[in-house]
Amino acid sequence: MTESLHSTHESLSAYVDGELSPADATSVARHLATCAHCAAEYQIMLDTVSLLRSELERFTAPDVLRARIRGAIATTPTEPMTDSPTLAVAPSTARRSVRSFARPAAWAAALLLAAALGSGVTLLASSGNRGTNTTADQVLASHVRSLMPDHLTDVRSSDQHNVKPWFNGRLDFSPTVPRLEEQGFPLVGGRVDYIGGRPVAAVVYSRRQHLINVFSWPSTDHAEGLTASTANGYNLLHWRAGGTERWVVSDLNAAELRGLITLLQRSDSAGRPLGS
Amino acid sequence: MSVGESLLDRFEQRVVPLLDDAYTLARHLMRDEHDAQDVVQEAYLRAWRYFAGFRGGDERAWLLTIVRNCCYTWRRSHSSNSSVPFDDEQHSGEERNRYAADARAIDDSERGALASALDALPREFREVLVLREIDGLSYREIAGITGTPVGTVMSRLARGRERLKRALKRTA
Repeated sequence: MTESLHSTHESLSAYVDGELSPADATSVARHLATCAHCAAEYQIMLDTVSLLRSELERFTAPDVLRARIRGAIATTPTEPMTDSPTLAVAPSTARRSVRSFARPAAWAAALLLAAALGSGVTLLASSGNRGTNTTADQVLASHVRSLMPDHLTDVRSSDQHNVKPWFNGRLDFSPTVPRLEEQGFPLVGGRVDYIGGRPVAAVVYSRRQHLINVFSWPSTDHAEGLTASTANGYNLLHWRAGGTERWVVSDLNAAELRGLITLLQRSDSAGRPLGS
Repeated sequence: MSVGESLLDRFEQRVVPLLDDAYTLARHLMRDEHDAQDVVQEAYLRAWRYFAGFRGGDERAWLLTIVRNCCYTWRRSHSSNSSVPFDDEQHSGEERNRYAADARAIDDSERGALASALDALPREFREVLVLREIDGLSYREIAGITGTPVGTVMSRLARGRERLKRALKRTA
């Protein structure tokens, strides 16, 4: 680069990135100090780069993609002695399997099978009794199934006055459906699911991109405090109080999930939905 | 079972959290939400299958290389039954039908001017722009991911920035 020549876009671009060699960077810096034209170009380049860095779109992967990937991984063995595939990526048998996993029923079935076999996926870090594990399996499976397109809710509404009456006649109990939008957990809707051979209420809340299933059904067992576990990247929380069995499942982090639990428990002990 | 729990844990801790980065690159390269999801799923499955052979280093650069390569092979192998109207990239050089892409981008008034302008660029410009401006990777890392010399990364980045700047000026 010659100092007397104007700087090219390319050298200014690389200069902004700090990617020029020290010698080239020095020569650009010297030129900018004496050439108003290039100094103006440099300023424009700085503005452009800063605009692109702040404005180019960053996407958040949907929960359903995360679930699909976890489902596919749970049923796919690794190839221990093979080198990194990055140099030669050819269409392969992997494509066929990924396409079959792309069909919701196929990967959901595979995931359930994987869970049943316990293939590399420890379903509960804190092992309870056998019955509890089975329920946890079913709750987790229900959550994952609900992430498939069109499986999340039977009644879709952010208004508890739509969701709560919808359960009437579909269940032999009336689940609480507190309104927690102001606390950062907008209501998404509800659906009836089957856990342990009985119909249960699943009330769905969201937080940012995360979906949270709150399962409840009546129980005559004695009360139990809150226990937390993780399975396949999901947090599962369980407690039993006031004759109601509760499970909360989400890939939301445990701290925020506990915030929701506190709100739910407060709503239960108040004996009426919050905000009503 | 052959799947070691610790390997899965490591994958969960080091690779799964990169999902948004992977998805962002795929969205910008595929320009279609559903194709991007399929590609990212395939890339993750591929990454998982070969994870035991991963020699260490930067997981993100490694994963993004796989995502990028999957985007390219996906486009080629799905071109016959694809209904996506981006046949310019399937049947001809990247550069040739740029003006058709420009026209589409301008039609797309729902989205921001910058997003449309980026979509209208040929893919080799989009990938360096995403890897640099969003992922903040060095020229050397980008060169490794795209399989091109550092000098090519430098010139594509400069030209990509210049084109986006001009496109934004036009719409302003």
